[in-house]
Amino acid sequence: MGFSILSFLRGVFSGFHASQRENAVALTIVETEELENIFALLLLGSFVGLPSPPTFLAVELLPFMEKELKILNRRARDAGDMLAEMCGVMGIE
Amino acid sequence: MAAAAAWQLSQKYRVLIVSLDPAHNLGDIFGVTLRNRKSRFTDTLHLKEINLHKLSKQYLQRQINVLSSTYRYLQTLNLDNYFSVLKYSPGIEEYALLTSIEETIRTEGKFDYIIFDTPPTGLTLRFLALPRVTITWVDRLIQIRRRILEKRYTIYRIRGELSKKETVLSYDEGDDDVLKRLRTLKKNYQALNTILQGENCSVVLVFNPDILSLKESQRLIEGLEDLEFPLRLLIDNKVTEENKETAEHVERDIRNMKNVPLERVSLSRALLDDKGGKLYDIPEDIISRL
Repeated sequence: MGFSILSFLRGVFSGFHASQRENAVALTIVETEELENIFALLLLGSFVGLPSPPTFLAVELLPFMEKELKILNRRARDAGDMLAEMCGVMGIE
Repeated sequence: MAAAAAWQLSQKYRVLIVSLDPAHNLGDIFGVTLRNRKSRFTDTLHLKEINLHKLSKQYLQRQINVLSSTYRYLQTLNLDNYFSVLKYSPGIEEYALLTSIEETIRTEGKFDYIIFDTPPTGLTLRFLALPRVTITWVDRLIQIRRRILEKRYTIYRIRGELSKKETVLSYDEGDDDVLKRLRTLKKNYQALNTILQGENCSVVLVFNPDILSLKESQRLIEGLEDLEFPLRLLIDNKVTEENKETAEHVERDIRNMKNVPLERVSLSRALLDDKGGKLYDIPEDIISRL
């Protein structure tokens, strides 16, 4: 009995700890993803008419950019509702 | 002109002449068929024509291989089609050209002189500018990438590893493939730029005695100055008795812009009149002017 209460409390506190850590890094994660998005956009900018580096640079780095491309796609999809996106980041309901 | 200079140099030195012009005629001049690889013409003279189309294709194939080995699951997609379109995108040909110059300089150390016969002004300036443009972009991308890695590291330090199943993205500069690739590219281009701007490299500008050629040469000189490439010799080509006056005018205007040694190469009338002899009268000591 005593053991299960202890493990229950341990679970509660570790969950609480994890949620606090998640809160602390939430904004940094958004910031990182934004930077990754910019990185991909800079590299592949020629596709949307932005000044871009020589094409071969994109070709050279393409094999290592899976995550950045996923973010770029997601950002493009969500770009229609940037206000909602920002509200989500700030925690405004 | 480049072929004639190579021939003359090969009397005393080991020479490799590489034609980068898509409209090749090096093989025609020497009366041999060159197939995108180095061919021996004499013991001291080797010839090579660069096939741009083939080079671009080889380069893209290498990238497809890297891509396929990185993401096995992408093999189900038809990547070849995507890359065949990429082949026509701007920049690939220039890159292929530059890569071939870099490779030639790196691998052909046994020659005393390597002569590159370049295509017309526009393309030449574009590929000569490529190392500098690339370094600027690579620097900027490295900066952003390092910030991304710093943020990832912060996230990792705060969150730790939440579960064993979670993929931890690289946060260390030594582990990040993108940053490693960017740094390698920067190192290669800086090395190439150092060679191209260095003491052992000379750019020779060949122009014809006419006003159009003068304008083009002026643009080329401006471009070379911007890029800090060492223009060391001017050659006024195909000067005859008839165009001597224009030749003098063109030479004066060009030398007002850039005061470097100038050689005048006359077009021999004898050959035109079907009397045999040399087509160009190239001075024996042309290389001493570089």
